[in-house]
Amino acid sequence: MESWEILLQQVINGLSLGAMYALLALGFTMVYGIIELINFAHFNIFMVGSFIAMWLMQLMGFTGQTHILYGLPLIGLLVLVLCMTMLGTGVLGALIERYALRALRGVSGTAPMITTIGLSYILFNVILLTTGADTKNYSNPMPNIRWEFGDAVLRLREVMLWGLSIVLMIGLHYFVRRTKMGKAMQATAQDQEAARMVGVDVDRVVIITFFIGSALAGAAGVIFGLYYNYTSFIIGYTAGLRAFTAAVLGGIGNIPGAMLGGVLIGLIESLGGQYLAVRWTDVIIFSILVLVLVFRPTGLLGRAAPTKS
Amino acid sequence: MTETQLRPSETAAPPAMGRGASFLPAIWDRATGIAGRRGFIIAFLVIGAVLPLLDRNEGDIDAGANALSYAILALGLNIVVGFAGLLDLGYAAFFAIGAYAYGIFSSYQVQPEWWGFWEPFQWLGLVQHIAVPGGPGTVHFTVSFWLMLPISAIITAFFGVMFGAPTLRLKGDYLAIVTLGFGEIVPIVARNVPYLTNGAAGLNGVASPTFFGYSFGVQSMPFYYLGLALAAFLIFVSLRLKNSRIGRAWLAIREDEIAAEAMGVNRVKLKLLAFGIGAGFAGTTGTFYVAKLQTAAPEMFTFPVSVMLIVMIVLGGMGSVAGVVLGALILQLLQSVLLQDLTQWIHAFGNLTGIEFFQQLDLVQSIELIFGIILVVMMRFRRQGLIPERAAVTALTHAQQTAVPSRIGVKGGLVPLHRRTLDPKKPLLEIRGLSKSFGGIKAVRDFNLDVMPGSIVGIIGPNGSGKTTFFNLITGLTQPDGGKVLLMGEDVTGLLPHVIVERGIARTFQNLRLFANMTLLENVLVGTHSRTTTGAIGAVLRTPRVRREEIAANERVMDTLRIFGNRLMPRVQHLARTLSYANRRRLEIARALVSEPVLLLLDEPTAGMNPTETLELTDQIRHLRDRGVTVLMIEHKLAVVNQIADKVIVLDHGEKIAEGTPKEVHSNKEVLRAYLGRSTDAVAEAAAAS
Repeated sequence: MESWEILLQQVINGLSLGAMYALLALGFTMVYGIIELINFAHFNIFMVGSFIAMWLMQLMGFTGQTHILYGLPLIGLLVLVLCMTMLGTGVLGALIERYALRALRGVSGTAPMITTIGLSYILFNVILLTTGADTKNYSNPMPNIRWEFGDAVLRLREVMLWGLSIVLMIGLHYFVRRTKMGKAMQATAQDQEAARMVGVDVDRVVIITFFIGSALAGAAGVIFGLYYNYTSFIIGYTAGLRAFTAAVLGGIGNIPGAMLGGVLIGLIESLGGQYLAVRWTDVIIFSILVLVLVFRPTGLLGRAAPTKS
Repeated sequence: MTETQLRPSETAAPPAMGRGASFLPAIWDRATGIAGRRGFIIAFLVIGAVLPLLDRNEGDIDAGANALSYAILALGLNIVVGFAGLLDLGYAAFFAIGAYAYGIFSSYQVQPEWWGFWEPFQWLGLVQHIAVPGGPGTVHFTVSFWLMLPISAIITAFFGVMFGAPTLRLKGDYLAIVTLGFGEIVPIVARNVPYLTNGAAGLNGVASPTFFGYSFGVQSMPFYYLGLALAAFLIFVSLRLKNSRIGRAWLAIREDEIAAEAMGVNRVKLKLLAFGIGAGFAGTTGTFYVAKLQTAAPEMFTFPVSVMLIVMIVLGGMGSVAGVVLGALILQLLQSVLLQDLTQWIHAFGNLTGIEFFQQLDLVQSIELIFGIILVVMMRFRRQGLIPERAAVTALTHAQQTAVPSRIGVKGGLVPLHRRTLDPKKPLLEIRGLSKSFGGIKAVRDFNLDVMPGSIVGIIGPNGSGKTTFFNLITGLTQPDGGKVLLMGEDVTGLLPHVIVERGIARTFQNLRLFANMTLLENVLVGTHSRTTTGAIGAVLRTPRVRREEIAANERVMDTLRIFGNRLMPRVQHLARTLSYANRRRLEIARALVSEPVLLLLDEPTAGMNPTETLELTDQIRHLRDRGVTVLMIEHKLAVVNQIADKVIVLDHGEKIAEGTPKEVHSNKEVLRAYLGRSTDAVAEAAAAS
């Protein structure tokens, strides 16, 4: 492979990872923007999402690499799987908010964060104990359509994953900017008390934020499975940490920032893996997290510094 | 910083303490009183010491030694999480660093070529020269285990400070994520640098410690007793630290960082101290652990270890030393004994009933699931843990509660409130052109003011006129855009809040920022932070000097509390959040006073007080002035200002619109317009009429 082909290939890979991290980072950033909580459960809601999608596809008869459907019926079924997965993880996130976190809202200190760690651990172990520790193969229902640029390959499924991610992000942007609930969210993020005073049902805003964030994490889980062709109980930890770094890089609490940060982290992962070393990827991404916190705690697009005062 | 941003987490529900409503918790609260805790810790150590004599099974003692290392880790982490309130999710990484430090310096893993440089080290016994035929030979590190115990602590403390520092100015949550990342990468680095750590295969051949010629070898007994000694040491250190100037400052930071800083606590330094001490103990434990196992592999130090330690602390009680010991004990018993037995019983039940599910169930594997459940359930239903940080306090008697407020104490105490001599002719505080904008809003603009020593200056003005911002600018909580603040002729503009307290300015907060889960006494003792000097080592050793300082601080606190007569005195052992609103205001004033301020800033001191209480406080403020404290107060109750203020400043839209004696100000047109919004003519009439 020529050097430009390698670069192009890694950019393609990076954008695919970036699409996934961006969706995952959105959940962190939305929840943090509204109630200033780092939601560690988000790590494994993502993982559960990839399992839900896998089970749904198995139910529908997609197994292994065989292609049983083509064209619109395939797209229709995939959209159905996606929607059901997002609904599933969304409901999971909403349940977590309602029954574990709501009682702790407004409690200062580490208690809410520790609760989310506990929840994350429960999800992780439930999946581990019920499905076993082995890596699960994902079916690959997409037809093998590919475009070649020299030796660099762009496959149909990558284009579809990008498309999915862009559609979801535009949808979210529209929702937050234009709908009544979206405006209520913005108001709550600015000042919870003031929002309550003008009649915003803050409890409802928070639970819907969890629902949307978790649904996006579910979509990211679907992307993970389709992109890597496997899933495992262990994927939430690394991906979650990277997505959180993406959220901080873009500016925590800032929705466009999370999208930008996600794409950048995806590119850093693929290019860093290519030109430095794959085994140091996590160290590179961790260094970015620390450097951003030291030199630009507001992130690339953030507004206010996340200091306590 | 605006007024709203400064609001403390006062809406936050405090952790529910033993509710006492039901019978069982009440008994438990009593059993875990101060004596109960002491008894439990002593029993733990004594039983721990005699256990190996009763149970001579090598496997059990080995398990006991491992359990002790986790208990030590939990105690170390408790200093960070429990005392200072900093959530460290990568504690196992520090454990790993300590382990690898000893591993590398006592095994054959790293063998640099021999040359003259190493000779002094050979002489010190730190390295050996291994002769290789036909070459200079190689170096074999043989650093003593006992030497490495403190060295590992220093190395890991350095890493702790290095990675903690970037996050300490940010919200506490960021420390959690950075430590989580750190905990993730340390095993990765260990895997990726095989020449130092032998990579994923793990470091082997770690030397066994010797004690005066007696080699520990592979026996468990010496390690068990060493572990027990370390645990006892850490319990001792934790308890000493907690009841010291340092420990109180940590708790204050945990409760309210801004208030802690405004009371003279250098929060960055103290957070780093907590983080460094915590990491250091993890390093020492790592060295102990690796010497015992004689091997170190990356998997031994991953995230689940850190989570297990957090579970121990949460289960036992954050910040509670006895609680953490109990938590560690329960979890270790659960893992090594209880779950195995339970699994066997369930299997037997399964075989009996023929239900396959019970025959297959293995509870030992679900230990991490149990960890997760413990975390969620404890946070939801008993956040203070099994043994709460605070022992239950007996309530006041009816007589004490309904006692007639005594005011004899007003003049009580003959100790001067501060130790400086002031020139009565020079202004104590000079403000020159002070300005601050938030976005487009000019909160304070071009403000000038002189405050003479021994005066009471009242600041009035409509809400949002910039009064609290003005206080924040003086006390360093907000940085001014321009202008100067001079105290006794010295420039204090833009200094950090805790430095300004040292210089002699103390304050109270409009919306009350007490340390809710600390006792009255502790709250006020935090106020003495800037006038005391005990450090971490002094606190642990409790030298005569430290003891004297502690006694003097306590006396000063009691003396100051006496100003409020029997309002606060009977309640010194109660938690601040149990106080009435008026008493909270009094407590804030007392807390500010013990920092020996020359200038006291009171932000609406009588807000929420009834007329009698207001009168009482007005009187007390006047006496403070008589005892040498200059007072600058924001107050909405004009009756109070008229009575005691020598000078009144009126702020409107960030500008001083009037200054003078109360009478002068009341007839000022601008003031009437600002307050009443009348047209100029009406104002003129009113002014003429008055």
